[in-house]
Amino acid sequence: MHSHRVTFILASFSLFFSTAVFAQTGTNVGAPAAPSKPLNPDMSINFLGVARMYSGFALQEAEMQFIADVDPYFRANALFAVSKNATTGEYGIAPEEIFFETISIPSLTVKAGKFKAALTRHNLLHSHAFPFISAPIVNTELLGDEGLNNAGISAAALVPLPWFSEFTLQGFTNSSTPFNSGNSGDWIGVAQFRNLWDLNDDLTLEFNLSGAQGKNAYAGKTNIVASDLIFKWRPAVGGKYQALIWQSEFLSGTMRGKPSDDSVDGWASWLQYQFAQRWWAQTRYDMTGISAATRANQKKRLSFLVGFFPSEFSGFRLEYGRTEQVATTDHALALQFNISIGAHPAHAY
Amino acid sequence: MKRHLWIALSAILFFTPTAQAKLKVVTTTPDLRVLASEIGGDFIEVESIAKGTQDYHYIEAKPSYMLKINKADLVISVGLDLEVGWLPSILQGARNPKVNPGSQGYLEAGSLVRRLEVPTGNITRADGDVHPAGNPHYSLDPIAMGSVAVGIADRLAEMDPRHGAYYREKGQSIQVRFTKKSAAWLERLKKSKITQIITYHKTFSYFFERFQIANPAILEPKPGIPPTAAHVLEVIGLMKTHKISLVLVENYFDATIGKRIQDEVPGARIASVPVAVEGASEVKNLDDLYEKLVSVIEGKNP
Repeated sequence: MHSHRVTFILASFSLFFSTAVFAQTGTNVGAPAAPSKPLNPDMSINFLGVARMYSGFALQEAEMQFIADVDPYFRANALFAVSKNATTGEYGIAPEEIFFETISIPSLTVKAGKFKAALTRHNLLHSHAFPFISAPIVNTELLGDEGLNNAGISAAALVPLPWFSEFTLQGFTNSSTPFNSGNSGDWIGVAQFRNLWDLNDDLTLEFNLSGAQGKNAYAGKTNIVASDLIFKWRPAVGGKYQALIWQSEFLSGTMRGKPSDDSVDGWASWLQYQFAQRWWAQTRYDMTGISAATRANQKKRLSFLVGFFPSEFSGFRLEYGRTEQVATTDHALALQFNISIGAHPAHAY
Repeated sequence: MKRHLWIALSAILFFTPTAQAKLKVVTTTPDLRVLASEIGGDFIEVESIAKGTQDYHYIEAKPSYMLKINKADLVISVGLDLEVGWLPSILQGARNPKVNPGSQGYLEAGSLVRRLEVPTGNITRADGDVHPAGNPHYSLDPIAMGSVAVGIADRLAEMDPRHGAYYREKGQSIQVRFTKKSAAWLERLKKSKITQIITYHKTFSYFFERFQIANPAILEPKPGIPPTAAHVLEVIGLMKTHKISLVLVENYFDATIGKRIQDEVPGARIASVPVAVEGASEVKNLDDLYEKLVSVIEGKNP
């Protein structure tokens, strides 16, 4: 254990010094087109801080990301998250996503490691990319605070259709809610069918269906079905200053085998409107407890958010949320900052 | 039932028209598309990802673009980090090893030009959205685009040697044409007596260097940061003391800022101009684009 730590420290030092050396070479003569990219991985750090009414200020999370091609066949991605342990209150570092994936197979990406499951678009997001400060209630109640994110393997193939269509099959270790069979040989299977249509140059429609199945701790199976419906509008003329996203998701899971079956279901729908180059106004309605079986634990929330982004690398968001539960109504106000340094991020759509 | 599904799926896979002899080329911008199209003629099919009305720094990585690149034989990018926020995601989603950076099917046109404004020493984002590899807006320099044309022709000739001579001849002829026309454009611009121009972003560095025009200030306080009132006041002061009478606003930026300058600087001309092919409906190719810019500066095409 001790020697591992020494190796880690040495490795950090060599990383640190190699970057320092590269930073000094700034000459243009005969340099390749991208002199800023030595063989080090693209490195970036993102951190989030949040000030909440009543509970005060906290460093929410910091993420360190390293991305590089391994060789002509693979790309690797390592993302570590530093966050506070909810029970001990101490900061710890944990692998959030660490995987390698193929870059050499036509129309197919195979990946292995630890990564987020393709079960709703929201489950794939890192917390700094969440459209609102917190995830939809149904995502956290069904899949836990971290979402479904285990060790596993994945294959994602482009389906030869006239529009963008992708079919993904994934297998994960059975080690998180609402599965947790306790048996290391059990797997969670995830499938997703993703489709996008460009309705015109300005407007895109996305419709996804996904599902998951695996054994649970009650000697039964847990089944999850999910769906996303997303409209994105950004005009080809004037798109620098305005855009609109309307995204909805539905998520439902049933754990069979308990004395009686246990279910969580819910949906979320949100609008994000960019009204100036650096400003967004957003609103979301999300709830759990749709069906008769789940209505007893019903939760409904309405949120409003205003975001200001001084640049691509910094952002400030103010969010108000009103949550109605069976007997109580909560109001929450939070201000979040979101800072990125290092390699320029490649944005997902 | 299952067997039928498999047969149907295989049929779709096999009969998608892939085996035609035409090379499929995808460019990131319409500027590169018109070059490739002129060079490749009927032997290639070429599409562009971005539109001429968009700010190339901020294109969204739409999956429909991944589909285009999935079927491409050659991807041509501007490079110099212009597409850093979106092209990597599109290439990743495209799952086409033929066009991975470093392979024959990927050409970064920025490697073919002499680069301007390459930052030296410490590079920091405190200076705004800096491009460590240099200013990526070389498409406004006809001479640079002549070199790009020759480079594209060479790559097409490597990939499709049967028509290599055709591609190379077309590439050369574009270079010769742009060289000749540049001499004429330079003459006209010299006659116009316009020696200094304010722009919104550092989009015109290559154009101005080629045509010997100074760019003493930009309206953005720093690249990528929208104009602030204080900075615009400074620019207005500069225009007055140095008798600068022309402001060009790239037409994907908000041009209302120009009104303020016009009010404060008597006689100032503010023009919102296309800076890419198809950036305005009448700009069909690079020749149109350069002609448009020259005539706007001359004051003939307000």
